[in-house]
Amino acid sequence: MAVDLSMPVLVVDDYNTMIRIIRNLLKQIGFEDIDDAADGSAALNKMREKRYGLVISDWNMEPMTGYELLKEVRADPGLSKTPFIMVTAESKTENVIAAKKAGVNNYIVKPFNAQTLQSKIQAVFGD
Amino acid sequence: MARVKTQQLESLIECLHDKRREDVSLADVLSLAEITAQSLQVFFETMDTAVYREMREIAGYIERMRGEIGALQADELKKNRIPAAGQELGAIVKATEGATNTIMECAETLMAADASDIAAYQALVQEKMVVIFEACSFQDITGQRIAKVIETLQHIETRVTRFASAVGSSKGAAFVSDDERKAAERRERLLLNGPQLDGEGIDQNTVDDLFSKPTPAKQPECSNQSSIDALFK
Repeated sequence: MAVDLSMPVLVVDDYNTMIRIIRNLLKQIGFEDIDDAADGSAALNKMREKRYGLVISDWNMEPMTGYELLKEVRADPGLSKTPFIMVTAESKTENVIAAKKAGVNNYIVKPFNAQTLQSKIQAVFGD
Repeated sequence: MARVKTQQLESLIECLHDKRREDVSLADVLSLAEITAQSLQVFFETMDTAVYREMREIAGYIERMRGEIGALQADELKKNRIPAAGQELGAIVKATEGATNTIMECAETLMAADASDIAAYQALVQEKMVVIFEACSFQDITGQRIAKVIETLQHIETRVTRFASAVGSSKGAAFVSDDERKAAERRERLLLNGPQLDGEGIDQNTVDDLFSKPTPAKQPECSNQSSIDALFK
């Protein structure tokens, strides 16, 4: 399945600069419909209002973390199929395994480059 | 002193034993009182010495603690050093944020620029490159600010370690406030380990390998390279 560049993407991070970096990289890849949220609960609200084709989320946020967001999304029948990529500085094996068990589609360790982001998005969509 | 006390008590018991079947006179009562007073005097003398010694020790301890608390320079830390370190850290955040914004604005401008006019585009790239170089100068100043913060931390560490050693705090349970306990529980429950230092975390290739293999039933320890290697055997 090819990556549909017209699908809406939600970037979740509590650090504005990181949202800006990911947004610019996504634009470079060709995505145009990009929204953002500052934590898991704000993201969940947006996801219940708009259908996103991809969520790219940080892990460590307050009050709701990206890990909690992932579990909420997978537990919600209306959202459970949404592709979810974790982009985080959490680089311990236990974090990667916990995210995988919770149903994350891919995992990117910060700092990352444009090529890594693009290849993970392509991997999620089977390109 | 214990021997004297025993002798006094033996006299008291003997006296009571002799007088058990007789009427007790005032002289007997006075005699008993005298013997009792003598035996108790020894007890009080012993107690006075012990209490006095303990009070001296406590006074000495309090005196030493006053000295240690003075050496902590808590007032100076609270009024000067910690606020100054906080200001330095605030300035570091501001400087890095400012530099990042400047660099990103340059990059965004270049990304959006019209490249059809080569000469104009080249001039714009040159101009933005200079701005990026200038923005990178923040690193020198923030390095100096970080050095000052580290110096403050070392100052605090030295004094707190000395104080902890003086009060023997390592023998007791560490004090943890409710807020600290809740924060620690949240970190543990939500796996908020934070960024790892070089050699502590795993890199993107290892993450990719983990995704290409089935998830282990038992969560492995991952604090060093050998434990990570064990995941792939």
